[in-house]
Amino acid sequence: MATSVAEAGTARPVRTRFANVLFWRLVSIALVLGAWEIAGRIPVSFAFPPFSATFAAFVGIILDGTLPAAYLTTLQPLATGLVVSAVFGVMFGVLMGLSRTAEWALAPVFIVMQAAPMAALIPLVTFVYGIGLTAKVLAVCLLAAPVIVLNTYKAVRTVSPSLLDMCRSFLGTPLQQVTKVILPAAGPVIFAGLRLGVAAGFIGIVLAELLITPTGIGDIITYSSSIADYPTMYATIASLIVFAGVTVSILQQVETRFVRPEKRA
Amino acid sequence: MRRLTLPVIRHAFVVLSLVSFVGAANAQQPTVRVAYGDVPGVEAMGFLIALERIKERGMKIELMTLKSEDLATQAVANGQAEIGVGTPYAPMQRLGVPLRLFYQLSTLRFFPVVNGEFYKTWKDLDGQDFVVHSRGSGTEAIATLMAQRNGIKFKSISYVPGSEVRALAMLRGNIKATIVDTANKRFLESQAPGKFIFLPMGDVQATDDALFARQEWLQQNAQTADLIVEEFLKVWRAIKADPNFVAEQRVKYNLLPDLPANLQADIVPYYKEAAEANVYPIDGGRAKAVSEDFAFFTISGAIKGDPTTLKAEDYWDLGPLDRALAKLGS
Repeated sequence: MATSVAEAGTARPVRTRFANVLFWRLVSIALVLGAWEIAGRIPVSFAFPPFSATFAAFVGIILDGTLPAAYLTTLQPLATGLVVSAVFGVMFGVLMGLSRTAEWALAPVFIVMQAAPMAALIPLVTFVYGIGLTAKVLAVCLLAAPVIVLNTYKAVRTVSPSLLDMCRSFLGTPLQQVTKVILPAAGPVIFAGLRLGVAAGFIGIVLAELLITPTGIGDIITYSSSIADYPTMYATIASLIVFAGVTVSILQQVETRFVRPEKRA
Repeated sequence: MRRLTLPVIRHAFVVLSLVSFVGAANAQQPTVRVAYGDVPGVEAMGFLIALERIKERGMKIELMTLKSEDLATQAVANGQAEIGVGTPYAPMQRLGVPLRLFYQLSTLRFFPVVNGEFYKTWKDLDGQDFVVHSRGSGTEAIATLMAQRNGIKFKSISYVPGSEVRALAMLRGNIKATIVDTANKRFLESQAPGKFIFLPMGDVQATDDALFARQEWLQQNAQTADLIVEEFLKVWRAIKADPNFVAEQRVKYNLLPDLPANLQADIVPYYKEAAEANVYPIDGGRAKAVSEDFAFFTISGAIKGDPTTLKAEDYWDLGPLDRALAKLGS
């Protein structure tokens, strides 16, 4: 009896808190959408449709299959680019963190890549790699890889020396130092880099589809803009923002669950 | 105190009246901002000369170069520019943006081109891939029209924006059939003489660029619009009469002084060919341009509906052109 009362006592505040958070989230979303609706109805510009028209266009392109088909096309270079960037990015990052020579050879390249204005450089990619899938995958990698590499490198470099000393004092081999100490300790920051890399990859694919050849999402944006169908254009852009947001938060959940169990609520 | 106040008031009065006089003078002669959605090159030289001549007639003109025609349309619609260059049929029809075209600057000039090793005629393209600029573009409309006229069906149409990119892809062999503009036709001919075959297009006429403005601006500034149209007509007729005209005037007005030497050499041949092909019409388009545009842009998808039921007055204001033609003679 005493146990059940105690359980009821803790369950209610948690549920109330959740309801509160949900309430304020919904209110903030409603406020933004309401402001959008008003701005569209004034209108701020003839090229800025109200939320209602955009939502109607969104339902339209989902029902007629345009948007799902576009996502299938866009996801191909995006997923390829992200997998390549994640695998090679983490590998290079760890290598640079462990070896001074690798750091000397590679760090400047990635720092320059991160600082360079990629939107201006992507058209140059077409001169070398043409206009096909390779150029788009490369555009995703150009944006995603530097973030992943540099985060991984910093994460490995800043692993606490006392942890490494401890491993050595227990006669840990260099391989054990990497697998048992460095990677687990660097995990959270590496994962944060991966999350940022995925977000950057989305920018890369949109730039590629707008600047190289309009396919998938880029095609809907370009075409609807050229025929002044702005609700469809905004619906596509908004869907992309939501999609990117959801992907990044899923990654965050994965991170909390597997890499940082201590953060689990 | 009184002695000090009176001169101050008197001075203030003088300054105020001066300011209001200058303001009134400016109000009579406001700057006409022209939004041009491209980087001006050889093909825009005639346009720039016309603007210089309008300035010489005492009008203040400011040229704004923007990234795309869409931006030029928005600038005019939002009142950040008075005149735009382009063909904003879609926003006029779909969103009811109160713009009107009033002078046809140029007609579409494109060249369907194929790699001679694979194809020789339109019929050979039946069931093959074809590359155009973008969905809903003029080049796609041409491709659709050519397929209809030649009784063929492309396997697929893909999109590669930029005539220069498509020309480069043709040279590299990435694509085998596409459409390029005049400059890139010449580029292909010079880089690989005889390798590419340019297919006939027959009679396809439509506006490439036109001057447009807000409807209410055209009504309130009829004199300004008339003067602009007159000068454009004069320059366009001078180009038709003598293709060297553009190169000479460029020197006179020092237009695009940084133009690379190879492009400078291109000016005379470009305008000679353009004059022969009537790229720059000497009558501003008139009603003929309107009906040709309706037929063409309904195919491209920029305008919806049956071309025969569309009304010219919903898209064009031919008033300034009619008045200028009456003055200069048609």
